[in-house]
Amino acid sequence: MTPPELRDLVADALALWEVPEGPPRRVAVIEGGVALEGFGLRVLPAAAEDLPIRWWIERPGQRRPCTSVTGLLRGLRNAVGAGEGEARRLRVAGS
Amino acid sequence: MIPVSVVTGFLGAGKTTLLRRVLADPAWADSAVIVNEFGEVPLDHELLAASEEVLVNVSTGCLCCVVRTDLTATLMDLARRRASGELPAYRRVLIETSGLADPAPILHALMTDAAVAETHRLCAVVTLVDALHGAAALDRHPEARRQAMLADRILVTKPDLGDAAALGAVLAGINPDAPLRAAAHGAVEPGWLFAPGSPIPLPGPEARHSAGLGSIVIEREAPVPALALTLWMQALAEHCGARLLRLKGLVALAEEPARPMVVHAIQHVVHPPDWLERWPGGDRRTRIVLIGQGIPRHFPVRLLAAIEAEVAGSLR
Repeated sequence: MTPPELRDLVADALALWEVPEGPPRRVAVIEGGVALEGFGLRVLPAAAEDLPIRWWIERPGQRRPCTSVTGLLRGLRNAVGAGEGEARRLRVAGS
Repeated sequence: MIPVSVVTGFLGAGKTTLLRRVLADPAWADSAVIVNEFGEVPLDHELLAASEEVLVNVSTGCLCCVVRTDLTATLMDLARRRASGELPAYRRVLIETSGLADPAPILHALMTDAAVAETHRLCAVVTLVDALHGAAALDRHPEARRQAMLADRILVTKPDLGDAAALGAVLAGINPDAPLRAAAHGAVEPGWLFAPGSPIPLPGPEARHSAGLGSIVIEREAPVPALALTLWMQALAEHCGARLLRLKGLVALAEEPARPMVVHAIQHVVHPPDWLERWPGGDRRTRIVLIGQGIPRHFPVRLLAAIEAEVAGSLR
């Protein structure tokens, strides 16, 4: 995923989560990743040798690993204060 | 499996008239009908000319709110009596909802009750919208919009009383993938109305939104790995929550691209996948329609692309 693609996905996710009001927020492309301005967060791809870690969520003094894009979204959702919202697990009909 | 179809439509849309017409057709007389009326004095079921034995009235409240368990219990009671020979061997069940019903919880109930899901198969959601008052109802009542959004087929009723063409354009904006016909007095072929819901979205713009409710069409040229599809649907359920109303489509799975898999989900409940013998019309692209409220229109496709890329990288 290129940084602009990551920016677009994260921006969509922020809109979907209805992040609580706060200072102006923007998702910007930075070298190698994106910055969530207003949240003090950065998302950077992990190096190939870090596998199974694929992404890092960084804030000053902290670095959280994520092993997938779905894990990245879950981590970001918590990091921006959107909580779990109406998160649901898939269920098979009749089960 | 007994096919179950849901007939919905706002108050006065002509649901009972339609069902009377359907049941008058000898080929469709062997239908069990469940009528839900929102009121203390049930009337609609008196108007239906079906056998007493296979016509059930559920009038303790609105199906989508308080009597979902009544619905599933009624279906199972009918099936038990059918199996024992107490009732004729009806070939299908038609559920007429109250005009105020939101179909989503009803569909949800049909899919999540284990006993019902083992014996019944959701076939089609038919929504009636009348040409005289339908546009106003769609404008003012969220229930009416959700009925239109979740339809597999839409029937514009009373076309002689209003501007059916203008209403058709409004409905096409709300649910562009539902085939639509206009008919007066329920004069429409039941076979068209109650054919199994087509999960095949029309190629077209990737998103259409209207007052927060919208449908998003996702098309993929390359087959999708089963793992990516599963992770994607899970992520949609997780992040969209109740905003995701329905998802249906044909999927070319990378593991079995020769025949399409039919996916169908109501909110976070997924129907066990079906398979078609062959690709209809020769178009082998994955086509999924997602109906939801307030979902950023590019989010599902961007998410799928990201997951696909990750899964492809893992498999290399």
